[in-house]
Amino acid sequence: MTPADRSARAAHRIAFLLAKHGDELARHIRRMVRDDDSAQDILQDTMIRAHRALSRLAAGSNERAWLYRIATNTSLNHLRSQTREREALRRHAAERETAVAPHADGRQERDEARRAELWAHVARLPARQRLALTLRLADELDYEEIARRLGGTAATARANVYQATRKLRLRVREP
Amino acid sequence: MTAEHAAAERSAVEHIVLGAFDTLTGRRSEPLRYAMMDDTPVGALGLAAGAGGLRHLSFVESEDDFVERLLGEHGDVPILRSTLDDVRRALDRYFTGRRLAFDVAVDLDELPPFQRRVLDATARIPAGRVATYTQVANQAGSPRASRAAGNALHNNPVAIIVPCHRVLRADGSLGGYGGGLPIKEWLLTHEGAWPAAL
Repeated sequence: MTPADRSARAAHRIAFLLAKHGDELARHIRRMVRDDDSAQDILQDTMIRAHRALSRLAAGSNERAWLYRIATNTSLNHLRSQTREREALRRHAAERETAVAPHADGRQERDEARRAELWAHVARLPARQRLALTLRLADELDYEEIARRLGGTAATARANVYQATRKLRLRVREP
Repeated sequence: MTAEHAAAERSAVEHIVLGAFDTLTGRRSEPLRYAMMDDTPVGALGLAAGAGGLRHLSFVESEDDFVERLLGEHGDVPILRSTLDDVRRALDRYFTGRRLAFDVAVDLDELPPFQRRVLDATARIPAGRVATYTQVANQAGSPRASRAAGNALHNNPVAIIVPCHRVLRADGSLGGYGGGLPIKEWLLTHEGAWPAAL
C-alpha cells in the first residue's frame, strides 16, 4: 500500500467515526472544556488517537464507549494545566449564573459570593471527582452514563460523586 | 436547558464537527445529515438529507453499512448523524396508516434528467393507485423506454417517498423492486392497492 493509499484509508476511517459519533463527542468535549476552539482541537486529537488505536479495539466491543474514553482522557490532558482549568470553571460558573433568575433584593450579591466560593472549592477537587460531579449536576446524567463517558463502572462514578459532595459539604460554610 | 440554549449548542457542536471533517478528511461541501429507523414493518431504513431535501431513503442492513455507502457515494461531503424528525414523523404516520401521503421535500437534482423525469412522474401516483412501467415512461416523455424506466425506478434513491413500488408490469404482476418483492407487496397491501386492478 502506498502512503497516499494509507492516508486516503485513514481519512475514510476517520470520516466514518466522525459521521457516527462526532456530534455527541463534540458535545461531550465542549461541556468539559467550555471553549469551542479547544473543543475542535480535542475532537481532532481524539479522532487521530482513535484511528491509531483502532487495531486494538476488539471486534464486537463498544466503539462508542471506547471513543468517549479517548475523548475524556484527551480533554483531561488538556485541562490538566491549572490555569486552563480555572478558566474553564470560571466560564462554567458564569454560564450557570446567567441561567439563574436574579433576586430582587440584596440576596443576589451574597448568592454570587457563595457560588464563586463553591466553584473555587470544586476547582480544587481531583479531576475525576470534579468531572463526575459536573456530569451529574450540570448535565444530569445517571451513573451508568457517567461511567461510560469517564471510564470505570457506575459504582466508581457514584463513589466519585459521593466523595466530591462530601468534600464540598465539609469545605463550604453554611449561610 | 431552554430551546434557545439547545439550538445554540447544536449549532456550535455542528461547527466543531464540520471543522474536524475539513481538517482531517478534506470533506468540506454542504453536509448530509442522516438518521436511522430501525424497526419499521419493512425492516431498517436509512435516511439522509441535505439542505435541498431528502436524498436517500434506503433499505439497509445496518447503520454502519449505510454510513459506508454515504461516504462512498459522496466523496467530498461531511456526513453527520442527526434525527431528521420531520421525515421520521411522516414515515411513522405512513406506517401506522394515519396518513399515506408524504409532505417531504426531496432533492433529485444530481440525478440524470431521464431518471428525474421518471421519478417526478412516479411521485404523482397517489397511494391506493398503481401505474405500469409503460405509463410512467410515457409520462417521462419517452414512450418506448419502459425498460429504462424500470432501471431508473430500481435505482430510486428515495424509496417509499417517491413511490416506485406503485409501478407494475402491464399484466398486473409486481415486476421488480430494489428492496425485494416482499416489501413491494407489503407496501401495496398496506395502501389497499394489492392485488392490483389495472
